[in-house]
Amino acid sequence: MATIRKEGRQSSVRARFRRGAMGLAAAVVLVAARAPALAGVGESTQSASGNVTNQALLEKLDAMERRVKLLEGELKRKNSSADGKLQAQSASDSKPVTDKSANKAKKAQDQTKAAPNDAHQDDAHQTPSAAATAADVGQPATPAKPAAATKPGEKAIFGLVDSPVAGLSIGAYGEIQFGEMQNPAAGGQWQLGSDPARRFVLLPTYDITDNIIFNAEIEFEHAGTGFDNDDKLHGTAEIEQLWVDFKIADQFNWRAPGIDLVPIGYINQHHEPTEFYSVFRPELYNGLIPSTWKAPSTSAYGTVADGVRYQVMLSAAQEDFGDAYDCRTDANTVPLGSGTTPCTAGGAAYFPGIDGLNALTFSNPPLGDFRQLSNSLAVSGRLDFMEPASLPGLAWSLSGYYTPNTTPRGAHGDLGNLLGQSSLAMFDAEFRYRVPQSGLELRGEGVYVTFGNPANLRANNDTDPTDNVGKHMYGASGEVAYHLPLGTILHSEWEAVPFYRYTYEDLQTGGFAGTDVNAPTGAGQLQFHNVGVAVFPSPNLVLKATYQRVINRAPGGAQSDSALGGLGFFF
Amino acid sequence: MTEWIRWTAPAAVVISVSAPAYAVQYLSVEEAQALAFPSAHFSEIQAGHVWKASTGGIFVIDHVIGKHLYIDFAVALEGGHVRRVDILAYRESYGGEIRSPSWLAQFVGKTGASPLKVGDDIRNISGATLSSLHVTDGVKKILAQYGNLR
Repeated sequence: MATIRKEGRQSSVRARFRRGAMGLAAAVVLVAARAPALAGVGESTQSASGNVTNQALLEKLDAMERRVKLLEGELKRKNSSADGKLQAQSASDSKPVTDKSANKAKKAQDQTKAAPNDAHQDDAHQTPSAAATAADVGQPATPAKPAAATKPGEKAIFGLVDSPVAGLSIGAYGEIQFGEMQNPAAGGQWQLGSDPARRFVLLPTYDITDNIIFNAEIEFEHAGTGFDNDDKLHGTAEIEQLWVDFKIADQFNWRAPGIDLVPIGYINQHHEPTEFYSVFRPELYNGLIPSTWKAPSTSAYGTVADGVRYQVMLSAAQEDFGDAYDCRTDANTVPLGSGTTPCTAGGAAYFPGIDGLNALTFSNPPLGDFRQLSNSLAVSGRLDFMEPASLPGLAWSLSGYYTPNTTPRGAHGDLGNLLGQSSLAMFDAEFRYRVPQSGLELRGEGVYVTFGNPANLRANNDTDPTDNVGKHMYGASGEVAYHLPLGTILHSEWEAVPFYRYTYEDLQTGGFAGTDVNAPTGAGQLQFHNVGVAVFPSPNLVLKATYQRVINRAPGGAQSDSALGGLGFFF
Repeated sequence: MTEWIRWTAPAAVVISVSAPAYAVQYLSVEEAQALAFPSAHFSEIQAGHVWKASTGGIFVIDHVIGKHLYIDFAVALEGGHVRRVDILAYRESYGGEIRSPSWLAQFVGKTGASPLKVGDDIRNISGATLSSLHVTDGVKKILAQYGNLR
């Protein structure tokens, strides 16, 4: 009983609704029927020409209605295109372009992700395929890329072919060296030799997103490693760099912890063979700055002001231990004990990381397996100055490095005395000046290192009187080069750069303290004269010839002159 | 130890909030168009690549590789010469010095007859050699292709 009544009530509601709708529809029809009559009411009293006018007005109204419907439809389609649907545009319609369509088309062409940062863009997440379709349908013929032969600057894989994966680029650089060198261990005999794969480095870079970038450098030195006697290999396979950059703002970007280059000087961070003109890297970077100076580290970098960039790095500190890797104990200390038997022969004596003949060459912290020998960290920073308005063509930088302690756990002298803490601070200032409208180039650099407590350095306690270290080390160099265009050879524009560089280093200053007898030979005061020419068949390739004269204060001299040729590439 | 956090954290927050949100995209296409031809309207000649300005002039967007990653840049042409060059996006960690206004100003006035060669009429920026070379090549190519469009 109740259900019937409910249905009845519902049906009555429905009936009422139906009646109302019908009434409304009737009203609409009446009005619509009347409308032309109403419109024509002013002319209805006129003659037949008035009926013709009515007809014209009717047609005009119809046309207006059709136009409104068309515009409504277009508006609807435009709004729904944000969801990735097709946008049907009339080909004859050349509308002013909005940022949206420009970036959509660009996405389709470039296969890179457009930055979604523009406030005007409201379809930043549109898929590339939809973008491609929209661009193809609406616009006249679009070229994918400007047609050009393979030119440097367009191909992401070794500069030769397009990348198979959007955002991935693989580069490489390497050096080949050969020539004649004096061997000081052979009484200065001139010996012919080569290092024909001195280094070969692969540089994979990948845009994870436009603001998150992965970068690595995989390096093979001296033609790699091998263990069979017929391989004759004694080189290195290593990861020179490995980091991910988070690009946050112009003033602040974060490089997550990884392996990165310590930001001291110019050549350490720009060490590809096309960046310097001599066969060997500039001398200041062969010990005072232990290039390639890389460390476990994290950094922040960015732009401070117009033309001023900064980088600040926190890294594992240099360690005063330079002997064989396996001499490290499992407790991550230096080999313990006393005496002069080398650790490689089971004893406690170990080669220092910092010494007056090799400077900081052997002091880099290890990169593998949690085997660092101290908890010490280092902080370093640099400021890069670029192109001041007063002197265009000038670039220069200031950098510094500090760690409170380089002494590893268990450090001791040969007499068994325990070595305490010793800090290390380094300062570098350098400039590169390319005189505008001329081929002249000038470079200059100075490096200064200071040790907190030389008495606690292993080199001053290792029984060797000739490798002692004083309170400081320093070096300075000046270089002049001239860029000579050679014209077009083999379909490429060549350039020759003759150069001369002078470097002075003092690695054994006063301020010695320690248990050793202090009798440096003078080998720690060095002068280098480099003269040569670097020929660039293209900016990615360089052929080098360098003569180097080395002078020191040791009796008998340095006996390390060399006449070398080299080839370097970077793409 | 916590002292330095107390002092630097507010600064870090302020910087990260107030700083512009781009470290890669410096100018949008629209902004670059407005800088090149103020108060002009643009009609696309090639989608996403070339526009004609209502005040007379051509606006071109292109990209080149710096060291490894793309540099997006814009070239404004007028009467067959370069009116303005802007860097829209720079992705590399090194070499951003090419964004310096004084370096980009070198391109103003260049024509198809200019050498447009780094080390000749365009200064090199050491530390940004590849970026300098590739952007210069890019501008030269654009001048050659579109310099005659009116």
